[in-house]
Amino acid sequence: MDRVMTARRAVGVAASISIAVFALLLLVGPAFGADGTQEGTVSLIQAILVGIGYYLSNSPWLAGNGGFFGLYRPLVAGFIVGIILGDPVEGAKIGAAINILYLGFISAGGSIPADPSVAGWVGTALAMGGGLDAQAAIALGVAVGTLGTIIFFSRMSVDAVFAHWADARAEAGDITGVSRMNWVPSQIFLFIISFFPAMLAVYLGSSVVADGISWLNDNAPWVLSGLQIAGGLLPAIGIAMNMRFIFRGSVVPYYFIGYILAVAGGVGTGGALNIVSLGVIGVALAFLHVWFSGDRTAQARGA
Amino acid sequence: MAAEMPNTEQPRVSLTRGDVQKSFWLWTFFSHANYNYERLQGTAFAQAMTPIIRRLYKDPEEIKAALKRHLVFFNTEPNVGGVIHGAVIAMEEQRANGADIDDDAINSVKSGLMGPMAGVGDTITQGTITPILLAMGISLAQAGNVLGPILYFVLEVGIMLSLAYFMWMQGNDRGRAGVTSMLRSGLLDRVVVGAGVLGNIVLGALTAQFVTVYVTLQLTIDNSQFELYKLLNQILPGLLPLAFTLMTWWLLARRRVSPIWLLVIYLAVAMIGAFPFWGDQACQSILNPFFQPDYCVPPPPDAAAFVGF
Repeated sequence: MDRVMTARRAVGVAASISIAVFALLLLVGPAFGADGTQEGTVSLIQAILVGIGYYLSNSPWLAGNGGFFGLYRPLVAGFIVGIILGDPVEGAKIGAAINILYLGFISAGGSIPADPSVAGWVGTALAMGGGLDAQAAIALGVAVGTLGTIIFFSRMSVDAVFAHWADARAEAGDITGVSRMNWVPSQIFLFIISFFPAMLAVYLGSSVVADGISWLNDNAPWVLSGLQIAGGLLPAIGIAMNMRFIFRGSVVPYYFIGYILAVAGGVGTGGALNIVSLGVIGVALAFLHVWFSGDRTAQARGA
Repeated sequence: MAAEMPNTEQPRVSLTRGDVQKSFWLWTFFSHANYNYERLQGTAFAQAMTPIIRRLYKDPEEIKAALKRHLVFFNTEPNVGGVIHGAVIAMEEQRANGADIDDDAINSVKSGLMGPMAGVGDTITQGTITPILLAMGISLAQAGNVLGPILYFVLEVGIMLSLAYFMWMQGNDRGRAGVTSMLRSGLLDRVVVGAGVLGNIVLGALTAQFVTVYVTLQLTIDNSQFELYKLLNQILPGLLPLAFTLMTWWLLARRRVSPIWLLVIYLAVAMIGAFPFWGDQACQSILNPFFQPDYCVPPPPDAAAFVGF
């Protein structure tokens, strides 16, 4: 029962944080709205499409993997939001920047430290609607992503009810009924708790963000600079989260090789090397490393 | 796989390749459809077994028992863990043909393998393949290439589906013994070490491309100007982002600082660093290259100076 207690506490914490932030948005929104700048708002149709995309990223409909390993990732989400809002390149750039923070994201055993998906779908839409560049969008995306965990918690809690409905179908020997209980009620519920919040956040939030940014631009431009500076610092957290898993043992030196090659080769700044060239070098070095240490790897395990 | 099956006089019921594939697709699509705190993927396991149960059992009591047997708590990595389903399907087939396999035997295979396969599976799919492909897609996208997200999606989903199908069929063909021998052989270790090499190189490149520490701090002493980032870059081009990322890794991995705390701290540092408060008419800041008013002498370093070195 410890599991259930932890879940309840987590739901409580997530709920109070979300309510606080939504309350803050309601209080702050009208203040910015007074400026009356409507630039950068997202249309209702566009918001609906983003909401559907967010639902799909959590749904089973794309062979399971196309959801969790595809649309769930801000890189892919940002690109599609970019298509919806009319600028795929900018969307992909913003999604890519937000995604770096979730490079170390692993969902295991039903626990989720953050929600990359909502950061990608809603975060990119808000950033594009508000005219933020990719670097400044990172902090916004993370804030939205932290909020998104409440959707995961409520889904994980409520879906337990449907497992009991499945038990009842099993008791009746109803094979099709058991099958349906796995996906029909859970997907209806998921659609309600994912589509509507995401759609509303994008539809109502985009003008709030746009107004907020123009207000800051006039009154405290250094805050926007701060967002951009944070956009340079925060990726270190995403990268370091991933390094916790692979920056260890005999492969540590390759991190420094990758770094120096990227700096010298101008990766991402139009230099002689790009990430694909580094990927080829990486595969070659991986092959050599395993080839020359192969026996030792096996011996270490006593095989 | 029929080796441990005793000879019986009953008419033999056997599964077709189509049944096993149908089960595979049900699982692949719906493994997380009803993910919940009480049973995690329990109902999804039952749904995946429905084509198998429908083919193997005709007696209503046996159907009921089989459905209940597979509605219990279950959780593993959905792609690599499919090897368990493959093995369980093989066991169900033997059981339906009279082999002495009781509920406990099937439950112990499920609960005994789901933990190890989750550990190995998450390391391979979420911990290795995904971040490497993401890193490459992110790097391409940042350079303005929309093939970044498209290539990531196609490669990632293609690899995951192939891996899942391969593992499922391995489990079905080789059974539990095959799964255990696969776990024991050093093959997985070698794959993980090789992926670690590639992963580290790609992460190093991402650090260079995305981490930027705009140290705009500059001092003028006796009319000569000292800009800190220039001095550091003379030691090693890009020393600041590298040192900053290693410090972040040390805080997270060695000092166990929570990532949420780090987020808050780094945001605060960025905001404080952005605030212009010294120099003539307060135009100089510690970290802000974006605030460049005309009256600022000497002007803060330009943001472009921190990218590409």
